Amino acid sequence: MRILVVEDDHSIATFIAGGLRQEGFAVDVAEDGVSGLELARAGPYDAAVVDVMLPRLDGLSLVTALRHAGIPTPVLFLSARHTVDDRVKGLQTGGDDYLAKPFAFAELLARLQAITRRGQRAVEATTLTVADLRLDRLTRKVDRGGTPIELRPREFALLECLMRQPGRVMSKAMIVSHVWDYSFDTGTNAVDVLVHRLRDKIDKSFSPKLLHTVRGIGYVLKVE
Amino acid sequence: MSSRWSEGFRTALTLRLGLWYAGLFAVSAAVLLTFTYLLLGRALAAQDREVLESMLERYSFAYQRSGLSGLRSLVDADESEGRHERLLVRVTNDKAEIVYFAQPPGWTGFDLAALDERAAREPWIEIDNPIDSSSLEVGTRRLPHGLIVQIGRSSRVRDEVLTRFRDRAVEVGVIVAVIAIAGGAFVGYVALSPVRALQATTHAILETGRFDARVATRGTRDPFDRLGGSINTMLARIERLVRGMREALDNVAHDLRTPLTRLRNVAESTLQEQDPAALRDGLARALEEADRVSATLTALMDISEAETGTLRLTPETVHVAAVVDEALSLHADEAEDRGIAIASRIDPALTIVADRTRLRQVIANLIENAVKYSDAGGRVDLEAAAVPGEPSVTITVRDTGAGIAATDLPFVWDRLYRGDSSRSARGLGLGLSLVKAIVEAHGGRVGVTSAPGRGSAFTVTLPTRGHGPGPGPRP
Repeated sequence: MRILVVEDDHSIATFIAGGLRQEGFAVDVAEDGVSGLELARAGPYDAAVVDVMLPRLDGLSLVTALRHAGIPTPVLFLSARHTVDDRVKGLQTGGDDYLAKPFAFAELLARLQAITRRGQRAVEATTLTVADLRLDRLTRKVDRGGTPIELRPREFALLECLMRQPGRVMSKAMIVSHVWDYSFDTGTNAVDVLVHRLRDKIDKSFSPKLLHTVRGIGYVLKVE
Repeated sequence: MSSRWSEGFRTALTLRLGLWYAGLFAVSAAVLLTFTYLLLGRALAAQDREVLESMLERYSFAYQRSGLSGLRSLVDADESEGRHERLLVRVTNDKAEIVYFAQPPGWTGFDLAALDERAAREPWIEIDNPIDSSSLEVGTRRLPHGLIVQIGRSSRVRDEVLTRFRDRAVEVGVIVAVIAIAGGAFVGYVALSPVRALQATTHAILETGRFDARVATRGTRDPFDRLGGSINTMLARIERLVRGMREALDNVAHDLRTPLTRLRNVAESTLQEQDPAALRDGLARALEEADRVSATLTALMDISEAETGTLRLTPETVHVAAVVDEALSLHADEAEDRGIAIASRIDPALTIVADRTRLRQVIANLIENAVKYSDAGGRVDLEAAAVPGEPSVTITVRDTGAGIAATDLPFVWDRLYRGDSSRSARGLGLGLSLVKAIVEAHGGRVGVTSAPGRGSAFTVTLPTRGHGPGPGPRP
């Protein structure tokens, strides 16, 4: 997959590009709006990460021009502004999602994957498996090594969120939006409490431990 | 500079107004003088002709009564009495011989031949004097037996009067001009004094950057006075906004300094570490502190926006019970883990008009607060009821926690305020400030009662029909 990153802050651009390359993406970086538009027109990209505030041509205009040219590349907006207005504007312009700075790379990655999948989210497996942990989305049953585990709805939602992409770190904000449908950071410790409860049920009496805390970033489900 | 510009503008306006006044004044004075001059000239001319007419009448009457001798004796009598000093008198007989002729001395330049030629045709003729542009008006009366009496009068006397009048008029004109200019200056000055007052006020604000200056209004309700009033209202609004923004900035600077200091300290101490695990731990802590800075900033911006009225709210009809349940779900696990019972008893039909997301945030903050300060075995109860006699709904979050000391009670809504007993509790200390700001942005109010040792009750009262059309600064 080929991603275009249009970001004028060199440090942030390097951070995003480096992270994406580590994830196996091919990345091109443009540091102003005009060259970003040229790149986007020239090559087919699977997705673009576009900062809203750019020199020479701002991000919203860039995407407007792109859409006028009939190029449907999915766009993830980045912005230091976080008001609902900006979100709405970004999405109306033809952006597919919106991420406020500062952001966790895990979240950028998740949103990027979401918008590239958006067109082709055909079949998702009904049964998710990580090691000997199994989650059935249809029957909403969970077991580990054959031992049934009773989960409350929110615990189930959290586990589903983590199991959909095992090995991928989920930020607290991503978990909050998945489990509680909150669109902004609540600043509460609700996620920690929920993770603690889930850990009690799926890890406490089992080995190896699957639910890990990545300090400062979020949580991940994987075999270490 | 703008002040110089406005200075020039003001001077130009005063000048223009003064000039207009002076111009109008001078023009009307000139019209009046000209009119008077023309009337005077005409009146004098009519008077002259009247004199000639009456003389002619007397002479023809004398001739008719006593013949040529009678006329002659009258003419002689008149001459001796000096009546002819200013008149030309000429009498000719039927043979066109001059019987009598008298002309004041110094009358030169008149072409007297016209007396014979033109007077034969017209009873009144004017003979121009090419030397001094005066004219001689001559009336001709034909008497029986071919006798002709002609009496003329020079326009010189009249012209002299008019010349004197013109000279006076010029003097008067100078005086008028002086009055006009002085009056214009005065009018310009007086009429624009309210504008100058406005200008002085705005100039003072531009110079000092202080918005507490106000335009002096006299309460006369004239346009200038109203303008002054409007400007004062505007200034008050600007002052409030600027003060709000300044305070917000101060608060942001103050509230961010602490987490930034922690972040810096963490990074600095981590830099001393050699052990990879300790390095990782330090980085993680730095990241957490950075997130806290970011969360603090977001909360502060929300509070500031709500307080200054720039927070965008999307009011819609929401079911209070549903929103409370959503907020509850965020803290239900923690409460359960800590042995605190949470219950909501709210009529599912109860609705208000509010921004759903923000309302949920308000209630979640209150619940979080209640849970945080409760101990195992405690209770948190949520209730909501319409306020009697008022189109509002009050939502109450009641806990059985530690309670708040009466001395602390007035300050719980302040930023970063925590009672002594709760200093160790985690959180940004902005939750209740945000609650208050959001509720007030909705046109509602907050309240709190507490009994130390027995618990507290936080109330949020919101109007059922929402708050006016859209967001905006409120007086």
